[in-house]
Amino acid sequence: DCWFYSPNTIALISGQTGKLMYVMHNSEYPLSCFALFENGPCLIADANFDILMVKLKGFFQNAKANKIESRGTRYQYCDFLVKVGTVTMGPSARGISVEVEYCPCVIANDCWNLLMEFMQSFMGNHTPGIPSVFGAKHDSIYSPADTMVQYMELFNKIRKQQQVPVAGIR
Amino acid sequence: ASPFVLRARRSMDKSGMPWHLRYLGQPEIGDKNRHALVRNCVDIATSDNLTDFLVEMGFRMDHEFVAKGHVFRKGIMKIVVYKIFRILMPGNTESIEPLSLSYLVELNVVAPAGQDVVSDDMRNFAEQLKPLVHLEKIDPKRLM
Repeated sequence: DCWFYSPNTIALISGQTGKLMYVMHNSEYPLSCFALFENGPCLIADANFDILMVKLKGFFQNAKANKIESRGTRYQYCDFLVKVGTVTMGPSARGISVEVEYCPCVIANDCWNLLMEFMQSFMGNHTPGIPSVFGAKHDSIYSPADTMVQYMELFNKIRKQQQVPVAGIR
Repeated sequence: ASPFVLRARRSMDKSGMPWHLRYLGQPEIGDKNRHALVRNCVDIATSDNLTDFLVEMGFRMDHEFVAKGHVFRKGIMKIVVYKIFRILMPGNTESIEPLSLSYLVELNVVAPAGQDVVSDDMRNFAEQLKPLVHLEKIDPKRLM
């Protein structure tokens, strides 16, 4: 089965604190809205949070180059979910994101090795190390907020990259 | 400029429930003739790290209290009869003391925008509670 998904993020700067806040949505959780600060808390809220943000818009300003999203296809392979998407910032494509989820397990530590083996089977050398979002809490229950933090980090990495000149694309 | 106020609420007797965040706008114009106070309202359910998140956003806590009592419903009308408790040590809901010996009775309705006629239903219901309770429309500006 394949259908489209799209985690996307808008970056805002708080007029009060100068901090950068990300408001994110993910079609995997269509009724929710995620709001997070880098190295700070990630709030999971219902869709009315977007309405509240409209009320609060006087206190925030859009960060430069602020909207970034990943859109693509969702594959289900036995107990695994693989989502491959093109990351776009405005009109330009900036990279590819691959999200891999092992559905039966909710504790990262218990299935990391299995995930890694699965990823190596199709990603080879591109297989990443254990995500930093697990940090000290290897044994705590996984939450959608952990997924959104990883997307925020990925999007930030892509945002900071120089745009690849057309001649250099392989 | 008046500060931007948000209200965060959680259940003390049911664990695992989402927190409730509410924004209440200024009283609507044309309010003087209405029987009830009408304000724009946005309700949001959130995860339990709401207070940490609000502080990170730049909000600071103005006050907190515990409310214990009962909720009654009549159609879309909600009547809450509760006692307000002062929290003696910030964030510690175990040590509280009642603000007064009385209960506060509050009648409120959340309705789609423009349905002002509910204020007539509210006034009619309030009449039925007399002389046990005398409900009156409050002026939030007087309280600020």
